[in-house]
Amino acid sequence: MMIVDMLTLTSWKSEVSDLKLQLRQLAGSRAPGTDDSKRDLFKKVISNMTIGIDVSSLFGEMVMCSATSDIVLKKMCYLYVGNYAKVNPDLALLTINFLQRDCKDQDPMIRGLALRSLCSLRVANLVEYLVGPLGSGLKDNNSYVRTVAVIGVLKLYHISATTCIDADFPETLKHLMLNDQDTQVVANCLSALQEIWTLESTTSEEAARERENLHSKPYVYYFLNRIKEFSEWAQCLVMELVAKYIPSDNSEIFDIMNLLEDRLQHANGAVVLATTKVFLHLTLSMADVHQQVYERIKAPLLTQVSSGSPEQSYAILSHLHLLVMRAPYIFSSDYKHFYCQYNEPSYVKKLKLEMLTAVANESNTYEIVTELCEYAANVDIPIARESIRAVGKIALQQYDVNAIVDRLLQFLEMEKDYVTSEALVLVKDLLRKYPQWSQDCIAVVGNISSNNVQEPKAKAALIWMLGEYSQDMHDAPYVLESLVENWDEEHSAEVRLHLLTAVMKCFFKRPPETQKALGAALAAGLADFHQDVHDRALFYYRLLQYNVSVAESVVNPPKQAVSVFADTQSSEVKDRIFDEFNSLSVVYQKPSYMFTDKEHRGTLEFSDELGNLSINAETGDSVVPAQRVEENDKDLLLSTTEKDDVRDPGSNGSAYNAPSYNGSVPSATSQPLADLAFSSTGATGQAPAPGLAIDDLLGLDFSVGTATTPSPPPLTLNPKAVLDPGTFQQKWRQLPISLSEEYSLSPLGIASLVTPNALLRHMQSHSIQCIASGGQSPNFKFFFFAQKAEEASIYLVECIINTSSAKSQIKIKADDQSSSQAFSTLFQSALSKFGLP
Amino acid sequence: MLQCIFLLSDSGEVILEKQLTGHRVDRSICNWFWDHTNSQPNSYKVVIIIIIITFSLSSIIIFDFSVLCLQQQPVIASPTHYLFQVCREGITFLACTQVEMPPLMAIEFLCRVADVINGYLGGLNEDSIKDNFVIVYELLDEMIDNGFPLTTEPNILQEMIAPPNIVSKVLSVVTGNSSNVSDTLPGSTASCVPWRTADPKYANNEVYVDLVEQMDATINRDGVLVKCEINGEVQVNSHITGLPDLTLSFANPSILDDVRFHPCVRFRPWESNQILSFVPPDGQFKLMNYRVRKLKSTPIYVKPQLTSDGGICRLNVMVGMRNDPGKTVDSVNVQFQLPPCILSADLTSTHGTVNILSNKTCTWSIGRIPKDKAPSMSGTLVLETGLERLHVFPTFQVDFRIMGVALSGLQIDKLDLKTVPYRFYKGFRALTRAGEFEVRS
Repeated sequence: MMIVDMLTLTSWKSEVSDLKLQLRQLAGSRAPGTDDSKRDLFKKVISNMTIGIDVSSLFGEMVMCSATSDIVLKKMCYLYVGNYAKVNPDLALLTINFLQRDCKDQDPMIRGLALRSLCSLRVANLVEYLVGPLGSGLKDNNSYVRTVAVIGVLKLYHISATTCIDADFPETLKHLMLNDQDTQVVANCLSALQEIWTLESTTSEEAARERENLHSKPYVYYFLNRIKEFSEWAQCLVMELVAKYIPSDNSEIFDIMNLLEDRLQHANGAVVLATTKVFLHLTLSMADVHQQVYERIKAPLLTQVSSGSPEQSYAILSHLHLLVMRAPYIFSSDYKHFYCQYNEPSYVKKLKLEMLTAVANESNTYEIVTELCEYAANVDIPIARESIRAVGKIALQQYDVNAIVDRLLQFLEMEKDYVTSEALVLVKDLLRKYPQWSQDCIAVVGNISSNNVQEPKAKAALIWMLGEYSQDMHDAPYVLESLVENWDEEHSAEVRLHLLTAVMKCFFKRPPETQKALGAALAAGLADFHQDVHDRALFYYRLLQYNVSVAESVVNPPKQAVSVFADTQSSEVKDRIFDEFNSLSVVYQKPSYMFTDKEHRGTLEFSDELGNLSINAETGDSVVPAQRVEENDKDLLLSTTEKDDVRDPGSNGSAYNAPSYNGSVPSATSQPLADLAFSSTGATGQAPAPGLAIDDLLGLDFSVGTATTPSPPPLTLNPKAVLDPGTFQQKWRQLPISLSEEYSLSPLGIASLVTPNALLRHMQSHSIQCIASGGQSPNFKFFFFAQKAEEASIYLVECIINTSSAKSQIKIKADDQSSSQAFSTLFQSALSKFGLP
Repeated sequence: MLQCIFLLSDSGEVILEKQLTGHRVDRSICNWFWDHTNSQPNSYKVVIIIIIITFSLSSIIIFDFSVLCLQQQPVIASPTHYLFQVCREGITFLACTQVEMPPLMAIEFLCRVADVINGYLGGLNEDSIKDNFVIVYELLDEMIDNGFPLTTEPNILQEMIAPPNIVSKVLSVVTGNSSNVSDTLPGSTASCVPWRTADPKYANNEVYVDLVEQMDATINRDGVLVKCEINGEVQVNSHITGLPDLTLSFANPSILDDVRFHPCVRFRPWESNQILSFVPPDGQFKLMNYRVRKLKSTPIYVKPQLTSDGGICRLNVMVGMRNDPGKTVDSVNVQFQLPPCILSADLTSTHGTVNILSNKTCTWSIGRIPKDKAPSMSGTLVLETGLERLHVFPTFQVDFRIMGVALSGLQIDKLDLKTVPYRFYKGFRALTRAGEFEVRS
């Protein structure tokens, strides 16, 4: 193996040195036909590069051969240079000369290409050579060159931000953006400026203001007025911008929507989806118009689904899925679009099944269930299972389940093990909701032999029914008895647990027949190696010993029918995904904070290696509403709040938004947006979303008020202070910084600060609660809050600790400015005690 | 904001790599992607036949190629990047990014890349890409800069980068100019009609309008037509000198349920009078897509019957004309997958040929349906031992083609040319074929 590798390696090497020799010979030659032989050689070099062989050693020779007027040769040369300049910064200097010369070529195509390649070298010490050509490129009279130059400025910014700013390029771009004739230039300016200003805004107030300005009326109207001239991709960019714009009144909203309406008819799906997003976000505050928007966007989206390639269909379907889940009633007449095709990939079928389940209502249930039943005989077994589950879900949603129950019972008779299993689980759920159907179901379930059911879930369901309805099922005790006899062969603990309970229930209903089985079951349970099974058996045993009638009331109480089964995804999460419409969040069905790392959310910093920087900060013990929030040091607060305004509706296209968590950049636009987003969740009355009822059931309340408990004076803190992240963020933005200090930390404290949690517990013992924390050694960042004991006055603290310098920087904001110094002292003393025994 | 685009062959080899930003994406991501794809439980390959029919008056060209389609989601999260993938004829177009972006934009863009490269190379395959990788690089260079899509209009790209066709090869031999890049920039980069070349000249001015429709239908177990709709396209091939302004109107535009337009179509005339008014791109393009819902019948019927007893299943399929569309129905083809529980099958037909492949795909090619007698296929399927009856039923996928008829009933009323004083030749055609036409049993 080694020998073979060595051989191929040497053959590469010899090939590369061979190429080197030939290139050298051609470099100075002016004979006719040189270009053709050069072209062949270049092609060889680049094909080697393409398959991954390192041909960087030819750099010098390639540059020498670059003096040519042939544009294809030039292009190949640019490609080569662009690929290897970064690893050969010294040699890259050689290319500057010919690239700069080409930047002054007569042919605009060559000027553009040369400029693009020049900016793509990305070698930090060559930036000084970029400024000149870029400056003239931006003034070039050919729009192609200008488009390239604009992107070039962005590339320059990424290599050296200061050079770019010092040359005043952002200003030039701004001027171009507002005045250039060519819309591609304008669009490129927009994308470049968004990126530059976003990255700059962390350090410069000016850039932050400029970035906010982009969302202001004059800019947005300027882009909207030219929207039809833009290329389709640039249109998407503009739409992202518009989606962030907050119109001042309703007539403005209608104007924008009228202007953009024909974009829904665009052939490019990306444009359609971007427009949809604008429409949905503009109308969030107007419930009735919002409804009409759904009606309006329905047809274009459905057309996109059926006419695009499978990949496009999937992306659109994911978005439709989101909309259907939000407003199923609007799509209830279009249910046929969600019928599965035979050769669709199963991930598409799965989405469609969920949508079919959601849109089912009184009028279409019959058709949908008929259709779903056909899938049960599908060759694709996972889909067959899903469709049976879907039938069950519909049954649980509906009031009139007559026909559905019949269908489910038919499944039980299909003699396919997986169909039977799924159907059993469903019948169980159904009986929990509609006990009145027990007679019909039990008759059929009674015929199923427990030997034919293998899957633990199904077996558990069957056993549950045997226990629950043992008075109606003639041979229930005997079936249970035989199951108990085979106790040792039952591998699933879940089944054994259910078996124990079922035998108990059966015992209370038919004691003489079950007594033997119960004894055997308890004995087997007590000997079971599984802790839960063992404990339950022991519990039942002692319960029976203590008092049989008490045991009966524990095991077999009268049951109420379950009215609503809990939803797996909370409505809060769904709203969040909706805010991130037209982004990856929708495809993954998760809000972005659940799957993106902080670097890739906030700014445009790419990383080659994704460190696991996120920490789950559990805010203290039960005092603070236990919210598990994913944390990281950069945009700490942003990710904790349920309505993340900055990243909110429009982050997707560009994802360039820097977190503006430090209240120094009060964003005028973000606040109302957050309110808008809130109204979508809060306005229960307006949008009859079924998810909301569930929200209450799950007890997802974010409105935990600020508790006030009286306790003694002067500056004592309320040990049970409560603040939810939303309020925290709001306050943090509103309040000015009242104190900003730097403390030193004791070495002992530094030593104990291995994880943020250690400090959290310590501070909590001093009545200072942590709302969010993150970071990794040596930098940690915390957000604390505390509450004055007898009033509702709150103190907010941002604390950055650097363990290597043993320093902590603290910013304090307070409702009551006068007492912030006192609080600071308190905080400092608490911090200084950290790590002391 | 894409960072990198890879083209992978059907064996997972990297054919081409194009880095778009300063942050290089290592090729190892491709290995990860490939391993991930192959580890998917459903990663069996499905062969889909796509037939594209382009026709002008003189010739009908049929590209018939098979597509290897992996059962892989188009958007995947790898440990380091988000990957978008589009698969065309065995070539996987893979794009990577680390930042949030509209997924459809990435997918749509990759589809365009695939279409453009396909158009340039006259078909996609590993060899043609490898032979022409310089052109592919050039194309990608113009289509996307710094991760943001620029121009994807084939018309414009063809002016910047000449396609490697025979004509240009001949030209280059004759003129001695071997560059495949035009010397000038396309006029349209500065023109107000971004999709049109500045000033094309033709000796014969002609416009061909084709209605190409695809019928999607689902017929359920009881023989009820549960869903039937048409997805149609208006394809235009225009060769007109100067800057023509065309208007196209339909006799019955009200039947259209939803439409999508090429950017050249003006929205207002359509909104007010249902007239398509546009300045066409030069050459072949898709003017409009439309959808017609709730059709009441299909041109042919397919009636499968399966009865099983005692480990044997009898299968009988009848195919025939239902509503004679007035034109011949040809290329009729019925395909289905035998359930895994079937051991052997013995099928014969009264018309056409029956073929059973080793993967239990059964194809019955009928061709043209004879007028006098409806073709049928019948035979027996032997079930696995122990199985009495069949529980998993096959779905029959039907293919057909009808030339000269748009089954939706859409009719072109007239085509007018404004602004340019030439006489020009107009040609109209129509075609309907089966899309997702399936009959369950």
